[in-house]
Amino acid sequence: MSPSYSMPMLILNDIHKFYDRLEVLKGISMDVNKGELVTFVGPSGCGKTTLLRIIGGFTPLDSGEVILDGQKIDHLPPNLRDTRICFQNYALFPHMTVAENIGYGLKIKKWKKSKVQERVEELLKLVQLEGLGGRMIDKLSGGQQQRVALARALSLEPKVLLLDEPLSNLDANLRLTMRGEIRKLQERLKITTIFVTHDQFEAMSISDRIVVMKEGIIQQVGSPIEIYERPANEFIAGFVGFVNFLDGTVEKVDIGLGKATTSTPIGEVHFVPEWNINVGDRVKLVVRPETIDISGAEPVGMNNTFQGEVEIGMYVGSLAKYTVLVKGQKIIIDQPNPRETFFRPKEKIYLSIPENIHVLRIN
Amino acid sequence: MARAESLYVPQSNLWGRLKTFINAELVNIFAALLFLLLVIFLLYPIIAVLIKSVKGPQGLTLSYYLKFLIKGYYFRSLTNTLLLGFINTVVCSVVGFCLAYLTTRGPLGLRKPLKIVSMMPLIAPPYLFAISLIILFGHNGIMTKVFGIKWSLYGFTGVVVAQTLAFIPLAYLMIENTLRSLNPNLEESAYDLGASETTIIRTITIPLLAPGILKAGLLVFVMTIAEFGNAAILGGRTPFLAPDTYTMIVGEADFEMGSVLSVVLIIPCIIIFFLHNYLLTGKKFTTIGGKPVASEPRKMTPFVKFPFLLISCFAGLAIVISFGVVLFASFTKILGINNQFVLSHIKNFDSNLAIYNSIKVSLIAALIGAIIGTLLAYVIVRGKFFGRSFIEMVSLSGFALPGTVIGIGYLLAFNAPPFKLTGGIMILALNCVFRFLAVGVEAGISKLHQISIEIEEASSDLGANFLTTFYKIVLPIMFPAFIAGFIYTFMTAIVSLSAVVFLVSPGFELAAVKIFDAAVYGEIGVASATTMKLVVIVIICMIILNFLTKKTGFDISRKKGSVTV
Repeated sequence: MSPSYSMPMLILNDIHKFYDRLEVLKGISMDVNKGELVTFVGPSGCGKTTLLRIIGGFTPLDSGEVILDGQKIDHLPPNLRDTRICFQNYALFPHMTVAENIGYGLKIKKWKKSKVQERVEELLKLVQLEGLGGRMIDKLSGGQQQRVALARALSLEPKVLLLDEPLSNLDANLRLTMRGEIRKLQERLKITTIFVTHDQFEAMSISDRIVVMKEGIIQQVGSPIEIYERPANEFIAGFVGFVNFLDGTVEKVDIGLGKATTSTPIGEVHFVPEWNINVGDRVKLVVRPETIDISGAEPVGMNNTFQGEVEIGMYVGSLAKYTVLVKGQKIIIDQPNPRETFFRPKEKIYLSIPENIHVLRIN
Repeated sequence: MARAESLYVPQSNLWGRLKTFINAELVNIFAALLFLLLVIFLLYPIIAVLIKSVKGPQGLTLSYYLKFLIKGYYFRSLTNTLLLGFINTVVCSVVGFCLAYLTTRGPLGLRKPLKIVSMMPLIAPPYLFAISLIILFGHNGIMTKVFGIKWSLYGFTGVVVAQTLAFIPLAYLMIENTLRSLNPNLEESAYDLGASETTIIRTITIPLLAPGILKAGLLVFVMTIAEFGNAAILGGRTPFLAPDTYTMIVGEADFEMGSVLSVVLIIPCIIIFFLHNYLLTGKKFTTIGGKPVASEPRKMTPFVKFPFLLISCFAGLAIVISFGVVLFASFTKILGINNQFVLSHIKNFDSNLAIYNSIKVSLIAALIGAIIGTLLAYVIVRGKFFGRSFIEMVSLSGFALPGTVIGIGYLLAFNAPPFKLTGGIMILALNCVFRFLAVGVEAGISKLHQISIEIEEASSDLGANFLTTFYKIVLPIMFPAFIAGFIYTFMTAIVSLSAVVFLVSPGFELAAVKIFDAAVYGEIGVASATTMKLVVIVIICMIILNFLTKKTGFDISRKKGSVTV
């Protein structure tokens, strides 16, 4: 790929935003490639929606640049930008029909009536709402309204599609379906999309890349697998899924074998370091509950095995969740497909931690 | 709860049985008593006017109505009134919309001052603007004498201008309310899809606001056509319904024609009251809720900004100048002609006596109004009898009825036994009570809706009977609504003119009537000073009200906590 070919569709360059004296965005820089679906995720108040509104042109930025397809757009009002937004509440015009909503932007752009009609039909088909063009908005279900909002935003073939928590008003099942459909549509149209959500699992399941934000700062940018398996810090590790943290100090490093040993509150843990490590380094082990093995008898020939006592056991069907006490430390364990092996409180068990765990360095 | 309990109470003697019966049915007994009061003091006077208008020497007759239609003068008074209402409604809605748009969407620094100015007329009686116009454009007005601007103030245009300024806040408040509740994402979506600001206003904002604007317009229309003071002071030879009824009754003692004019005036008011209450409810566009989004100040295009600013500032300036000249006129011999500082207008004995009388009457009205309003709210919300919504409708209808009609109604209804009230103080207070009942009732209803019936049920579950529950639980909770009703009734009663102008007796003048007389006889200094005194009283009331809502809001949450814990 030549450099000019891989020119990002959207560049955010050192964006700062203040509300009164409160700095809500503290220097956001990142690129979004053409055809990519990037998710901004973070707890409420992290600035993700503000960032989206800055890209859309609804909120002015205080410093920095927004570059769309090679052109600086941060001074332009929303109606002169080639970005289209889908608001969380869809913001469908309640006094218009489905077709009038979808065709609104086309009419503004002075398209011919027959052309508008043609395009609206095409979009209705795209979002699987054929035949509903004449309906009023309040006669649609939540999922259908979501589709109309999507079709309306897509009507003008924007260079970047902005989705602000688009699924948060749908019930759980519909959310899963719509999530899949949005992704399918996005991949089919190859449309560059920015998706804002506070739901980390939604972010994991839909994105090419995830941008984790906290307090106006980008914490990490990476693929879902990178974010989950190799979180950059404690906040991200805890934000995407549950995690057991074990603090320790490195006691032994064997460069030949590529292994290291660290002391932890539950005892010595052997691990395969991912980075250059020295004896005496303070580390934090990131142990996901589903990576820990649990058994009633002591496993043979396994490293990192510890004895513990079940404090709480919850049987959920597909898995069992345990809180286990090991030398006074609480460890959360997920046991897949427990069936008859479900352990009850007070039972003695053995748990094994894998060696290829993620390790954070503590400064 | 009380009903179910009564089954288990041993009913040994007649007295015991009576007691349980009273306890179980007390809400309904209250309701019946209150309904009786509404019938006597609200429905009966209106019916009396109706009867008077069709009762000839030999039974029923429509001859008075025929006279109304044939005689050009009367009919002109109807067309003038409707035209006035129409023009006012349009102008107030347009100005109200511009102001509301700027105070909700415009630059942050402008929002607060514009809002304050557009609400200023609320603290003044509407006829303040008639007085200010006389000071500026009257025969001895500043503009007329000092600047040589000749504008024949007395007539249709003068009334239109005064009424417009008086009713801007009404339109503004209602439109601002709907504009504020309009999800800004809707306008932003249109913006996002390429629409310019003018296109957004035309295709999104106004269509979505239409029900709200229509509602505001209807209210302005009713208030304008029923308003008495401005038309009576500035009307000159131009006939309008409300002041003409006054001339008929007080000037010519022609009760039949006065009644006919009243009925003619009441018809549009009743139509609009029903339109307002029934056609427009539920005609709101529903949208999916999400997180509430604050409307960020947006860059307004000059095409929108400048005309809006021009209209708003012109209206705002007119309001401020009106207040200013009335204030200055209170302290000068004749403002613009002899600007010598005097205190004689302020110290005027008649004026102060009238103010004192007004306070007395308004306090009585406020007390009775607050009690009846609170009780009515209770029976409307908690009662389980047939016709509850009818009682609610009647108790809220008072504000839609023109004051002049109620004035005549009281004159006709309470002139002879069994209800001989004319000439006394009570008739002045009572007409205010029932005209302004709506506010107290609505405050009470909304307070009651905030608290769940379980609190009362818990009380009776713990063994309290209905009266104890009402006294210990309901009254403390409703107290803020009672106070709100009290102060509101006091405020509106003390400035109200249109009904009491028919009912005052010679030795007992009220402030509003004194202002009216002084304005008509050209004693502008006294009229101004008395008006300013009323403005000060209203401001004090508003401050108290504001303070109490903040204070009791806190108290309520604490009380609620202690009840539930």
